[in-house]
Amino acid sequence: MLDIKNLTRKFGGIVAVDDVTLKIEKGEIVGLIGPNGAGKTTLINLISGYYYPNEGKIFFNGKDITRERPFVRARMGIARTFQNPRLVGNMTALMNVLYAILGKEGGRITLHEASAEAMYYLDFFGLLKKRDVLAKDLPIYEMRLLELARALALKPKLLLIDEAMAGLNPAEAERVSSLISRIREEFDLTIVWVEHVLRILMRSVERVVAMHYGKIIADGRPEEVSKDKKVIEAYIGEEL
Amino acid sequence: MVKLEARRGRLIIHFRNRKYEWVLEPRYWRNPIIGLIIWLLIPLIILVVGQIVPISILSILSTLIFANILCMLAIPLTLQIIGTGRVNFGPHFFAAIGGYTSALLSKNFGLSPLATLPASFAIGTIIALGLSPITIISRGLYFVLITLLLPFILLELAYWQSEIFGAETGIPGVPTIFHSGNVFQDVTLYFYLSLSLALIFLFVSDRVLRSRYGFIMGVINEDEEVAETYGINTAKVKIPTFTLTSGAMAIAGWFIAHYYGSFAGPAWLQPSFLIIILLTTTLGGKGAIYGVVISAYVIAVLREATRVLFGELSIVVLFLILLVLLYLLPEGFWGLYRKKRYREYFPSIKIRRG
Repeated sequence: MLDIKNLTRKFGGIVAVDDVTLKIEKGEIVGLIGPNGAGKTTLINLISGYYYPNEGKIFFNGKDITRERPFVRARMGIARTFQNPRLVGNMTALMNVLYAILGKEGGRITLHEASAEAMYYLDFFGLLKKRDVLAKDLPIYEMRLLELARALALKPKLLLIDEAMAGLNPAEAERVSSLISRIREEFDLTIVWVEHVLRILMRSVERVVAMHYGKIIADGRPEEVSKDKKVIEAYIGEEL
Repeated sequence: MVKLEARRGRLIIHFRNRKYEWVLEPRYWRNPIIGLIIWLLIPLIILVVGQIVPISILSILSTLIFANILCMLAIPLTLQIIGTGRVNFGPHFFAAIGGYTSALLSKNFGLSPLATLPASFAIGTIIALGLSPITIISRGLYFVLITLLLPFILLELAYWQSEIFGAETGIPGVPTIFHSGNVFQDVTLYFYLSLSLALIFLFVSDRVLRSRYGFIMGVINEDEEVAETYGINTAKVKIPTFTLTSGAMAIAGWFIAHYYGSFAGPAWLQPSFLIIILLTTTLGGKGAIYGVVISAYVIAVLREATRVLFGELSIVVLFLILLVLLYLLPEGFWGLYRKKRYREYFPSIKIRRG
């Protein structure tokens, strides 16, 4: 489904993503881990079109999307969430989902139909009661859920989740994790999931990709990766 | 034929087969209609007041015409700020384009005001279309600087090519629209012409802002990158917004040229005029097109009052007053009104339980 070939992105002298080659099949749920500054978010930004790579190519469903603008990718079916919730604060929860639907459907759908559809996504995440609350007034947990609802409203094929659990307490993190597993089944999604809370991530994903200094250092089942020597070194440093 | 009836707290007016209702309780009043009626009746009110208090009716009317000109510039500017997510510092540039276009066309080719109106709109739109890539390639301070430079370039051009643009004296002899000889009647007609243009701008902006297009404009105004990430083609919204609103500002220039009978760039391309336009949009309230009308009238009246009262110090006093107002009214004049009303959120469904 997603095919990344020799992707490189430099910021000045720093190589944030260094010659990354990665293949993600349809229906997979892939956890992307790594210490701070490993290039996980940059990779997500490159896939969603926030940055353009210096070198390399990105193929989505066999189509070259390396130079496509973000909205084209969004309409093709790549949705993402943000590390810090970037909702339109002065709009209500309903409106925040609504513009994603309008962006996807364009002129084919009336505003009324779109808002009915937005209700569905809000209800799925248990936010229907909060539909008329301004997004900036929501607590962080509900902001994260709203971000997920907004991403799902694009009817994506590939969902890139950038830290869905940062700032949540363990109970809330568990709920988010189970919701993510549920949306994967119900909406037939492929998910790339960047996360720092490894304990929950390792349980929920089937494949883990570990990054360090912009390079992929391990790729495999969670049990294998968590025992990988390079990964442990990257996280806690080398043995003296 | 007309039958009045007061029932269930509302006044019902029967007119032929139709029935019009008006709720008597003030909080349900349709304030836009009341505001519109007051706006339309202003010359009459001034006429009545002028009979009692010794004031110059003509000078007050011309002040209010200036307020309408401010509306004609500030309403499209507000729409443009919302739709492009950038503050344009050159609204008077597009007004000058419209003014020069209509003045030059009517003077050199003898076109009537009716013919120069579409011409100035077209020229303003074309120039804005040529400039519209700046809404994509630049943002923040760079956009401000680019748009701020344009009027200065035009000003220098007006001095340099003074045979064409006439420098300070401007281009005299532009045909006026109303010239019946009765000055009061002419000025009143000018007032209604400027008012109807401002009303058209207000109505169109209101419809646009309430449509799906306006909703997407709101998203772009808040966060352009989020809009792009969620499938909105921002260039497709920003470029038409920038182009058409600039054309609307050129129409304001058309009115200026035909109202004063001449167009002098140095009079309108001044930074102080720009500051007044920007203060009108800011004091109106964040993206509030109705607030713009209130603030345009307040500023125009204040400007005239300080000129009468303070003479040479007028500009200083005016800007000091506006500075204090900016501090006291962070949400503008519209905020004063809006705070008294229920937050009008997006229409929501009511779920009845049990």
